[in-house]
Amino acid sequence: MNRPLAEFVNMLRYADVPVSIGEALDAARTIELLGYSDRTLLKSALSQVMAKTTDEMVSFDQCFDDFFTIDTKLELGENLSEQLADEGESAAGENSDEEIQDQLSALELPDSDPSGSGDGGGGGGEGSATSPGEASAAPEGSLLEMLEQADRTGLTMSMNTAAEAVGLSNIVLSTQRGLFTRRILEEMGLVEVNQEISDRRRDDDEIGAEDLSRRLNVLFEATRDMVERQLALTSAGKSNHFRQDVLKKIRLSNIENRDFKIMREMVRKMAKRLTDMNSRVKKVKNRGHLDIRKTMRRNVAYDGLLFETHWKQKEKDRPKVLAICDVSGSVASVARFLLLFLYSMNEVLPNVRSFAFSGTLGEITDLFDRYGPEEAIPEAIEIYGGRSTNYGRAMEDFKDLVFDEIDNRTTVIFLGDGRSNGADPRADILRDIKKRAKRVIWLNPERKSVWGTGDSEMPKIAPNCTVVEVCNSLSKLELVIRDLLKTS
Amino acid sequence: MTLVDKEPNAAIEDIQKRFEKAGYICDLHIATSIYLSQKLDKPILVEGPPGVGKTELAKATAELMNADLIRLQCYEGLDESKALYEWKYGKQLLYTQILKEKLGDLLEDAQGLDASMEKLHQFGDHFFSEQFLEARPLLQALQSEKQTVLLIDEIDKSDHEFEAYLLEILSDYQITVPEIGTIKAKTKPIVFLTSNNSREMGDALKRRCLHLYIPFPDSDQERKIIEARVPEVSENLRKQLVSFVQQLRTQDLKKLPAVSETIDWARTLLLLHADSLDTAMVRNTLNMLLKFEDDIDNIDIEIPKMVAEAKKATR
Repeated sequence: MNRPLAEFVNMLRYADVPVSIGEALDAARTIELLGYSDRTLLKSALSQVMAKTTDEMVSFDQCFDDFFTIDTKLELGENLSEQLADEGESAAGENSDEEIQDQLSALELPDSDPSGSGDGGGGGGEGSATSPGEASAAPEGSLLEMLEQADRTGLTMSMNTAAEAVGLSNIVLSTQRGLFTRRILEEMGLVEVNQEISDRRRDDDEIGAEDLSRRLNVLFEATRDMVERQLALTSAGKSNHFRQDVLKKIRLSNIENRDFKIMREMVRKMAKRLTDMNSRVKKVKNRGHLDIRKTMRRNVAYDGLLFETHWKQKEKDRPKVLAICDVSGSVASVARFLLLFLYSMNEVLPNVRSFAFSGTLGEITDLFDRYGPEEAIPEAIEIYGGRSTNYGRAMEDFKDLVFDEIDNRTTVIFLGDGRSNGADPRADILRDIKKRAKRVIWLNPERKSVWGTGDSEMPKIAPNCTVVEVCNSLSKLELVIRDLLKTS
Repeated sequence: MTLVDKEPNAAIEDIQKRFEKAGYICDLHIATSIYLSQKLDKPILVEGPPGVGKTELAKATAELMNADLIRLQCYEGLDESKALYEWKYGKQLLYTQILKEKLGDLLEDAQGLDASMEKLHQFGDHFFSEQFLEARPLLQALQSEKQTVLLIDEIDKSDHEFEAYLLEILSDYQITVPEIGTIKAKTKPIVFLTSNNSREMGDALKRRCLHLYIPFPDSDQERKIIEARVPEVSENLRKQLVSFVQQLRTQDLKKLPAVSETIDWARTLLLLHADSLDTAMVRNTLNMLLKFEDDIDNIDIEIPKMVAEAKKATR
């Protein structure tokens, strides 16, 4: 597999298109078949090989356009690509090379009439004039020579080699631009050229020095553009990943409003992953209808005596979840995310009923079913939030509402800080719930060290729950829920 | 029958033209997909809204390649005994009966139990052999000497387990029957899987397939489709009705009208000897396009405007 394709695959992976090795190999074969000449055809073909959902198609289209930027100056580059024909098999490389070469052609501009080149070169020109044949035969000639001769092909190649040598494809942050530009130039032999410029200045060859530094500038610009392009390729995906990584670990209360959207997407993915894993667990139970077909088949070997039985019923194992979320002022900063998580659970699990409370408690499952999270969550906070917390009241309401529905398959999850403003948290009801339910999980966004301080009722609550956990970041939440699904 | 022995671009255009001749109008994207599947030996997973011609694509390919179409309609509860193979129980039972009767003759000269067992083992084991194997669609496709097109329709309706059964056939064109061994394809079938996306397919399955998404066609293409399928419709009416349907698709509807419904509607209008759209006729025949009472009610008020817009299309 060639390097441009490998880079493209990498870029796709960062853009949430999971390209497997097999798919990458298929892509390589596709490129072999079709070549790079027809971009639209290639795009259409590669999209079928590499992107496997409509979401991925969108990302793929974006990445493809970014990666194989269609060069408007392609006609200009025709003759150049001939020169390049032997060195660049890949159009991606070629394409960017041509762009660079176009840019580098600025080197020649002032020397527009051929006779002028000698004049412009001045004293320095003589030195390089001795080895024109050499330089073109061996493109790895020194940077100085290539600059003097405006050897665009050589410069481009040298630039690409240097870029590879300093690991340009690893660039992630925009602040690294200057660093990488400098490193590439140094790799190409910047020091030597600078030395030459100052030498000429010292020798009073102002024109020669001026000219060389102008040429160096052009090269500098071209290099910076190349770095810029590479940054655009890699950073978009990578920085997104970086951001998501950070968001996963950050305290829920510290997440800002503007990240809400990203969070929503992350939570949704997480909830989906969790339920996907879970919904595949199916138990074949030894009861229900006799599967005559399968039983016959198994028992044919015993002369048709029904010796080994086979049953039809399979049981999908899905937990029934009742989730109660505190939306009062004390947890206001995290309530949104807790609700968001509830919302996502509602979306992916079939048997979740959600409740919210601060003073009184009410069911919000309907609300979640009807609206998107952007509307449903503020609405839930609007209706049930704002009042001072009363866990005792909430417990009573909860008992009245759904106590009869709690059975040994039910998991009850509380999301709250357990601060009841001095009111009795009615731990006795919680105990009754625990007796009936499969388990009761209490997730508290507060640190363990402050449990029991002030009006926190955690010491009374904790003994009446199956599990009590601190839950203040997305990764923590995922761990808890995964546990929940695994053991259910 | 080869479609792909030319240069890629020419071959793809050729495929498109031949599809057109067979009455299936497709864009280059679809033709590319067929080309790639041939070159890379990969099944195609076709997705898209209902009625855009996913199943039709497989049929057209079969016709084009002069191959047999083997179709497997998926549904919840479909299992290997219906899709892959089944043993012929009745015959197997008869076989044991016969064996029992003949056993005396066969073992006549054997002395003692050991010798009898030895003798017994010398007979070929026919109980689980291909003779008693009832081939279901997937196995049929592998056993066929002739080129076949295997259409696994609405794979999203099947269970997860069934998806797993498919993996072996999709990547290696072979099936493993535990009692017999691995059956390889005599001629590799061209495999199409279609999905309406009622559930997400597993990664393993998606990885093994090319992914082709067929959206609703644009007006040019839809006109071509109508022209190919209902050639009797006048050009005037064709433009109008396609424009009308295209407008419908921009509306907020429970179910958008599909290409197959456009074709049905064109046929209906033809029966009514229509030459151009008018509001009353559209109202009367709207149930050909829209399949929900709510949708019909909601769109009713818009009809005059949309008909007027559609008439503009002909000018």
